[in-house]
Amino acid sequence: MASAEIVLSAENLTKRFGDREAVSDVSFEVRAGEVFGFLGPNGAGKTTTIRMLVGLARPDRGRVRIRGLDLAHHFTKAMAHVGAIVEAPDLYRYLTGRENLEHFARMLPPGAGARIEELAAMVALSDRLDDKVSTYSLGMRQRLGIAQALLGEPDVLILDEPANGLDPAGIREIRQLVRRLAAERGIGVFVSSHLLSEIEQTADRVAIIHRGRTLASGSVRELSARSASDRVRVRARPAAKAAEKLSAFGQVETAVPLDALPVSGDGSGDGLVVARIPPDRVPEALRALLAEGIEVFTVERPSSTLEEVFLEITGGETV
Amino acid sequence: MRFPGLVENELLKFAKQRRFRVVVLILVALIGLIVFAQSRARERFQNKDWRVETQERMARIQNWLRDGRMPASSRRWATFELGRLQYHLERDIDPEAISGPLFARAFANASSYLLLPLLAIVFAADVVSAEFQQGTIKLLLTRPVGRARVLASKLVAQSLAITLTVVFGGIVAYLFGGLAYGWPGWSAPVLTGFRVGGAVFDPSTVRAVPLWEDAILVYGLAWFATLCVGAIALLTSVLLRSTAASMGTMLAALIAGTILPRLASQWEAQKFLFVTNLPLPDYYSGSPPPIPGLTVELGATVLAAWAAAAILVAFAVFVRRDVLA
Repeated sequence: MASAEIVLSAENLTKRFGDREAVSDVSFEVRAGEVFGFLGPNGAGKTTTIRMLVGLARPDRGRVRIRGLDLAHHFTKAMAHVGAIVEAPDLYRYLTGRENLEHFARMLPPGAGARIEELAAMVALSDRLDDKVSTYSLGMRQRLGIAQALLGEPDVLILDEPANGLDPAGIREIRQLVRRLAAERGIGVFVSSHLLSEIEQTADRVAIIHRGRTLASGSVRELSARSASDRVRVRARPAAKAAEKLSAFGQVETAVPLDALPVSGDGSGDGLVVARIPPDRVPEALRALLAEGIEVFTVERPSSTLEEVFLEITGGETV
Repeated sequence: MRFPGLVENELLKFAKQRRFRVVVLILVALIGLIVFAQSRARERFQNKDWRVETQERMARIQNWLRDGRMPASSRRWATFELGRLQYHLERDIDPEAISGPLFARAFANASSYLLLPLLAIVFAADVVSAEFQQGTIKLLLTRPVGRARVLASKLVAQSLAITLTVVFGGIVAYLFGGLAYGWPGWSAPVLTGFRVGGAVFDPSTVRAVPLWEDAILVYGLAWFATLCVGAIALLTSVLLRSTAASMGTMLAALIAGTILPRLASQWEAQKFLFVTNLPLPDYYSGSPPPIPGLTVELGATVLAAWAAAAILVAFAVFVRRDVLA
C-alpha cells in the first residue's frame, strides 16, 4: 500500500474568512487504491478544505496536487483526474438522470458518454435513468452523483459526507460501492464525514480535523492503538456496589459513550460498569467482586474505537 | 473542440425549463391581443376617408401647439408628427395604412424597449444565479473545463435563445398581422429618415425604401439592443447570484428607462444610460428621440459599450471568485 502512487495531496492548506482562519495548515496525502477518511465535527473546516481540493475556493496559503499536477496552475488537466461530490449531490432536477449524465459527459473528453449505461448499472439506477431527478430519493441522487463523478474514469474520487441523509441501507450501499471502487479500480477515494462509525468502517487511513487543524492522522488501526485501551466493561448486580469495589483498582467511568445501559435508580439492579483497570490487576479485581457476593455476568475488554480516539483528541467535544 | 457541447448543455437547460414555454406563450398571447384590440379600434373608423381623418388629426395637433401648454418633449413630437402627416398627405399615401408586413415591422419598434428586453432578462438573469441556487455550480466548475469557457458557453447560449426569441416574435407578429390585415405588402415603399432639426420639421432626409429592407433593419436593431440587455443581465446574474435579485434589478432599470426620458428630458447625460437607448428601431425610423442629441449611431455605440463592459466584469468576477454557496 505504501508504494502506491500519491494521487491527491494537500500541502499546508490555509483559508481565511475575514480574520477567522477556517482551515489552518492542513496537509495529507491520498494514495491510489485507498479510502482516506476525513473526520471532523460540523464546522471543523471539512467542506472548506474540500472546496480547495476541487478548485472552488483558492487557498490563501498552501497547494493542492492531483497526480502531481498543481491545481492552481493546471486546473483543467488536474480536474480531468477528479470526480467529486461537494456537500450534496446537487444535479439538475428538471433533467432526467440520463440527461444529467449526458450533460456532464459533454464536459469531458470524448468517450465519456459511452460509459453511461455501465455506470448506471453499477449504481443500480438503470431502470430509473429516464425519470426526472426531481422524482429521485436522496439515496438515488447520491448514487447518480457518484455515477457522474465516475464518468471521466477518475483516479481520485472526492465524496463530501456521502452518508448524509441516507437510511442505514443506503449508507451500507454507498460504503460497499466506495470500497469496491478503491479495491477494483484502484481509485484513491477521499471521504469526509462527521460520523465516526462511517469512517471507521470505510476508511483505510484517517485524518481528524478540528477547528480547522488536522489533529491526528494515520491508519485506523494505528489511531485505535494510540489510546491503548485499559478499559474493562463489567456487567454485574448490584451495579452500584460493583462500581464501588472496582474503584479500588482503577478509575470508574460513569459516563459511557457507547451503548450504555442505565444503571437503575437505587443501584441494586443489573448494570454495566466501565473502569480503567490495568490488565494484570483484572483477576484480582474480579476476585474482590465475587468475595462480596456480587453477581458478575460478563467481563469484556472493548477494543478502543475511533470514537474514543476522537473524544480524546478533541477534548470531549461531541460529533 | 468541446465548446459546441458546452453550448448544447446550456441550450438544453433553457429548453427543459418552463421559462422557454412561458416566453413563447407570452409572445403569442401578447401579439394576439394587440392585433385583436387594434382591429377592433379600426373597425369604428372604417367608413371614414383616411384623408379627412389625417387632416382632422393635423388640426388637433396644431391646436395643441398653439395652446402653448405642452411640455418641451411633447412639443418636439408634435412638430414631428405634423410634418410626417403633411408629407404623407402631399404624396397621397395613407399614413396609418396597415398590412401584415407593416404590423410585423411595427412590432419590433413597439417591443424593443420593454417586451424584448424583458424576455431577454427572463433568459439571462438566472443563467448563472440558477446554478448557484440549485447548487449545480459546484459540479459545473469542478469539471475539466475552465471557468471562462463555462461562462462563454452560457453567453453564447443565451444570445442564441434571444435571437430565437426575436425571430419568433417577428414570425408570430407576421402571422397574426397577416391574418388580420392581409399577407402581401413586403415590397411596398415606406418612408424613413424623418427628422426634427431644431424646432422645425426637416423632410430633406426622408427617403422611400421597400418595407422588407426596412423591416430587416428594424429587427436587426431590436435584436442588437436585446442582446445587449442580455449581456447586462448576465452580469447581474453573476454578481448577485440570486435569480430574484437579478431579475428585480434589471426590471427596475428597464422601467426607469421608460420613465426617465419623460420626466426629465432636460437631463442630457441620460443618453449614456443603456436603458434610454433601447428603442433603437424608433430612433432609426426617425421618430423624435426623447432626449435631444440621441441618434441610432450614438445609441448603438452606447449599448455596445455597456454590453462590452458588462461582459468584461462578468468574466473577471466569475473566473476569480470563490464558490462558497
